[in-house]
Amino acid sequence: MSTAAPSPIQRGSLLAGGTRTRLLQVGPVEASEAVVFLHGNPGSADDWVGMAGAAASAGKRAVAFDLPDFGETIAPEGFEHDVPGYAGFVDAALTELGVERVHLVLHDFGGPIGLYWAAAHPDAIASMTLIDTGVLPGYRWHSLARIWRTPVLGELLQATATRPAFRFLLNRNEPRGLPREFVDAMYDHYDRRTRKAVLALYRATDDPGGMSAALVQVFAGRDVPALVIWGEHDAYLPFSYAERQREAFPAAEVHVLPASGHWPFADAPETVERLFAEFLSA
Amino acid sequence: MPSTDSHSPIISDSPAYDAVIVGASLAGCATAIGLGRAGLKVAVVEKQPDPAAYKRTCSHFIQASGVPAIERLDLLGPIEAAGATRPRVHSWTRWGWITPPPDGGARGINLRREVLDPLVRSTAAETPGVEMLLGWSAERLLREEGSFAGVAVRNPQGTERKLRGRLTIGADGRDSRIAEWAEVPVKKFENARFAYGGYFEGATPPQAPDAAIWFMDPQWAAAFPTDEGLTFYAAMPTKERLPEFKRDPEGALVDFLSLAPDPPPIRAGQAVGTVFGKIDMTSRLRRPTAAGLALVGDAALAADPLFGVGCGWAFQSAEWLRESVEPALQGDESLEQGLERYRRRHAQELKGHSFFIHDYSTGRRFNPAERLLFSAATRDEKTASILEQFATRQIRPQQMLPRAVPRALAVNARHALAR
Repeated sequence: MSTAAPSPIQRGSLLAGGTRTRLLQVGPVEASEAVVFLHGNPGSADDWVGMAGAAASAGKRAVAFDLPDFGETIAPEGFEHDVPGYAGFVDAALTELGVERVHLVLHDFGGPIGLYWAAAHPDAIASMTLIDTGVLPGYRWHSLARIWRTPVLGELLQATATRPAFRFLLNRNEPRGLPREFVDAMYDHYDRRTRKAVLALYRATDDPGGMSAALVQVFAGRDVPALVIWGEHDAYLPFSYAERQREAFPAAEVHVLPASGHWPFADAPETVERLFAEFLSA
Repeated sequence: MPSTDSHSPIISDSPAYDAVIVGASLAGCATAIGLGRAGLKVAVVEKQPDPAAYKRTCSHFIQASGVPAIERLDLLGPIEAAGATRPRVHSWTRWGWITPPPDGGARGINLRREVLDPLVRSTAAETPGVEMLLGWSAERLLREEGSFAGVAVRNPQGTERKLRGRLTIGADGRDSRIAEWAEVPVKKFENARFAYGGYFEGATPPQAPDAAIWFMDPQWAAAFPTDEGLTFYAAMPTKERLPEFKRDPEGALVDFLSLAPDPPPIRAGQAVGTVFGKIDMTSRLRRPTAAGLALVGDAALAADPLFGVGCGWAFQSAEWLRESVEPALQGDESLEQGLERYRRRHAQELKGHSFFIHDYSTGRRFNPAERLLFSAATRDEKTASILEQFATRQIRPQQMLPRAVPRALAVNARHALAR
């Protein structure tokens, strides 16, 4: 479906809240309603090329950017590497882009960040797409996160994450393995700056499910169109959470991909892009 | 056991049959045809009065192992003439597709039960020596001198008949009452999966006329192109997926298949008839014999439907039983000897297969041996060919393992070195 994109993806940059970030845009770039993609960890704006194409083919403006200290983007001095800090950056970026109505697309750690922002701007949410993320009541950090959150151990893991080790760690939990280019691009971005940011972000986030009750309160009564896509073999965020997104988004359309892992848009791009384009066109 | 007292009128004690078969589905009818053609006198009792009745909750797939038995009953021609497809099977695994090697491997049969069952039943009914009693249900077993000796049957009007036979045959399926009344030992194996399936038109998968199955480990789905241009689509997910299927069976089935890797074109098609489900798929392995009594088909072994072995084994077990007891029923040896021969044959042919099948019904992920064999089969035709012979139940596990494992190890070692 990505080949059906009506216009090529424009790559540029954006200055928001003191951060100059890498920007990917496609579709009608002047529109105040846009599909906004927030990547997870590890991840970058590049994660969204296929899905942005699907959004554009559904006639939407699509916007993806690196979060500070991810991808190729550098956070300014004093940037707070925590959920409110990143949500503040998202807010500044959307203001800068002139986006007023948002079809939010979240993956992994983009979930807590995007949902934090959304809870403060519920009227701006046109739709919600959650990919292996969302409200996570009772969630206990996965083992890798627990290592990152442990002083010294976290630093040690980051220091020893060579390319082969990174490939091995990532693919060992993926049911069909991720495309080599995808993992290599991810590793290319996973430099010292990102590794440090990851430690800070995970250490600042004690309870990733802590916002769940508040999110249910804000969204359950609103009729937010929602699409939930989850890889059944996600080793970090169990797919049992997929159905639970209906607690906050009762209208959610839920699809658990039986042969996918934590990155369904990478291991099943055609399926994810089809679901997303259909959802946006509905 | 039900009471042996009966207040209903007994119109007559029928003359003795050589065999009384309870159940006129595939196994019962195949047994009747075989015994009838051997010149024996057979009664077949079936509670369904409609001669066109058929089993609805079935994927209808017949493995290649069952085809020779069908051929020997002269049923293959009529089955093909009725529009059956003759598939091999393509299997998706996380290492890629295992495609049937171009080695002329044996083919299975796909024909809807709606067509297959009446065809086999009418053949049985027309077989000299076979008396078909439709609309009669078995009430209890008859006993004579410590041996089972037929069944008492009743029709909806309440008329009871005693059908005396030297051999009583339970062909009454997974929940066999004959087996229960005879108190034959049974082992049950819970199944962590449930099944939903339905026929679709305009949704023929690209593998047609071959079938396609997806081992999504542990989830499972399949597409069986069949007669009339229809395709039977099936999903056998683990039970945590049940709520979505109960909510909307057809929607969930279509979604599940279209989320599979290299999805089949089910969304482009139309469901024909209703999508049906089977929630409890507990397997049963019974001792297939007792004094004067034998079990065939699912009554003897009801395995996990995931492996599509039920229909083929119905024909095969019917043939093993006929071959085993024919000399006794012709008066050449004791029935006890014949039944013991059948019990042994059944165990030798199916025990190994059923062990591996039950083991996978727990909903577990692939074990190291399965990962080795499946991954090698995506890379090597010869391994794929050995696995195909095993999956189509033409060779037993003890024949497959020594041939496939060393080869798979070598294939995977070569693959690792080449990377």
